[in-house]
Amino acid sequence: MSRKITLKSSDGELFEVDEAVALQSETMIEADNILTLPNVTSEILAKVIEYCKMHVESPEADDRAAADELNRWDLDFINLPDTTLLDLIRAAHHLKIKGLVDLACSKVADRIKGKTAEQIREYFNI
Amino acid sequence: MLSCSITLLSQTLKRKGKRKRKTKTKNKIRTKLKINKNVCKKQKSIAKNQQLEEEEEEGFNLKCSAPSNSHGVQPLGNLYLNPGSVNSRNTGLGNLQILSDELVLEILGLLECPQLGVLATVSKSFYVFTCHEPLWRNLVLDYLRGGFSYNGSWKVTYITNFYPSFDVSRGTPFSGLRVRDFYSDYLFQSWLCANLEMKPEWLERDNIDRKRGISVDDFVMNFEEPNKPVLLEGCMDDWDALGKWDRDYLINLCSDVQFSVGPVKMRLKDYFNYSDQVKEERPLYLFDPKFAEKVPTLGSEYEVPVYFREDLFNVLGNERPDYRWIIIGPAGSGSSFHIDPNSTSAWNAVIRGSKKWILFPPDVVPPGVHPSPDGAEVACPVSIVEWFMNFYGATKNWKKKPIECICKAGEVIFVPNGWWHLVINLEESIAITQNYVSRRNLFNVLDFLKKPNASELVSGTRDRINLYEKFKNAIEASFPGMIDELMLKAEEKKAQEKKLSFWDSVTDWKAGAFKFSF
Repeated sequence: MSRKITLKSSDGELFEVDEAVALQSETMIEADNILTLPNVTSEILAKVIEYCKMHVESPEADDRAAADELNRWDLDFINLPDTTLLDLIRAAHHLKIKGLVDLACSKVADRIKGKTAEQIREYFNI
Repeated sequence: MLSCSITLLSQTLKRKGKRKRKTKTKNKIRTKLKINKNVCKKQKSIAKNQQLEEEEEEGFNLKCSAPSNSHGVQPLGNLYLNPGSVNSRNTGLGNLQILSDELVLEILGLLECPQLGVLATVSKSFYVFTCHEPLWRNLVLDYLRGGFSYNGSWKVTYITNFYPSFDVSRGTPFSGLRVRDFYSDYLFQSWLCANLEMKPEWLERDNIDRKRGISVDDFVMNFEEPNKPVLLEGCMDDWDALGKWDRDYLINLCSDVQFSVGPVKMRLKDYFNYSDQVKEERPLYLFDPKFAEKVPTLGSEYEVPVYFREDLFNVLGNERPDYRWIIIGPAGSGSSFHIDPNSTSAWNAVIRGSKKWILFPPDVVPPGVHPSPDGAEVACPVSIVEWFMNFYGATKNWKKKPIECICKAGEVIFVPNGWWHLVINLEESIAITQNYVSRRNLFNVLDFLKKPNASELVSGTRDRINLYEKFKNAIEASFPGMIDELMLKAEEKKAQEKKLSFWDSVTDWKAGAFKFSF
């Protein structure tokens, strides 16, 4: 039976994940059975786990269809409100999930493109 | 291709110009540096409305060529010295402030020049971030590959190349706008490492064995067999390269030949143009494994020192992994801690300049270095200078001190297989290095190539998985019986050592087959 790891969010909620899911996060996999994350809310943690569950298996190198489908899922998944996105980046960075950090950073970069300085100030609430 | 709003860029510059003229009063500010374990002597910061100027930090010397400021970025420690001060880094980033500097830069690294130009006008904070040179270095290398003419900084190089009508001779805007109240350890550290000089105490220790004119047998018995580093003098005396290889000669000889420089290829002339001007933490390093194929004369003007002529990888002919490199780089360039590939041994001969070496034996992981469990990756996240700043001091108190030396022109260092090593050029240097396999090292290499994850570990060849079989078969073909003979000898030796250590344990438990003492 595979190992299960429990994650505890900042608001006290507990999430249990299979080892296969946790393998994508260096932080998770190095933890003992329970990992407390005082800087990650349950909302964000749920999103992180959702991503990891989807990415447990990478598509085969020559399976273009599966790769495309995963990409589409990613793009849909990452279409989040701005503040959620930033919290997600921070959480993914802390948990060392490179794929998610890259995905979320790309989304933020996309939202910056095409904006004027004034729009960016508004966007980031400066 | 790219369409950048030149108006935006020039707006940025105009604003910069204005601000620059405002803040004229200079005043000396000492900064408190807190960089990981090295804490500088605490110094006071002076009241507001005064321009910040970097000065000789207590304990650190800045290069005389260092730009007079890093846009005024201060280390985070200063913020705590200034009660009531607000970090303009945060106010200027808005919601983005919750991300670390590295994450902010990761996002900016996904943007093109036009977006960076716009961002630079959003706030002082964004301005500082978008000036981060590595961002522009990536843009230059992505779009121009090795065909760039370096012009003072990566940002200016990019602009000069893509916006040739833009007047870069307007010096003031490009020396940068100074911002106040911007505190960031990451950005400050980055600037500091780019402009720091090597401290004398980092260069003092020299504890390597130095030998001149020893016999090959001597070398094998006292250094190669016991796997011990040594610095050999006098074995380059016959090299044409020693007298001939200076800049002018090499540029004339190599003209338009493209040499490997990091991720790109460059002509020598362009590389020297870059290396003359560059001030960065990790300068691009010219490191070419095909130099003798590209310019046969280069190959003919040096010869393998007599100690290293037995090189069993020769049996593979053209299919042998990369094994010889010409290395050219400015002061500050070098290689951070690593172990040479394929479990080979190496020698490194300095033709011009000088190199500082730090070596740790195979079983001692250097401080600050984190090899992955399977050995496939070695993470040394800090640059060479940062390693010296943060970790070198610790080695003074270790029992297992490293072997250190400065290798000057005309000297050759022997790097035994498996040893960790770090090298930094103390001045512009030209060197040749080769990796090789002798009988003493053959089994190590075979074992290495046999490993199940050979596909990741083996380097310098495209045929990673088959290299073991190929090499073994080639040895059998060229030197039939050698492997068996060596195997026998190794077993005999083991038996001997077992015997010895038994008797030693009876008489003196401290003695034994252990080779080194630190």
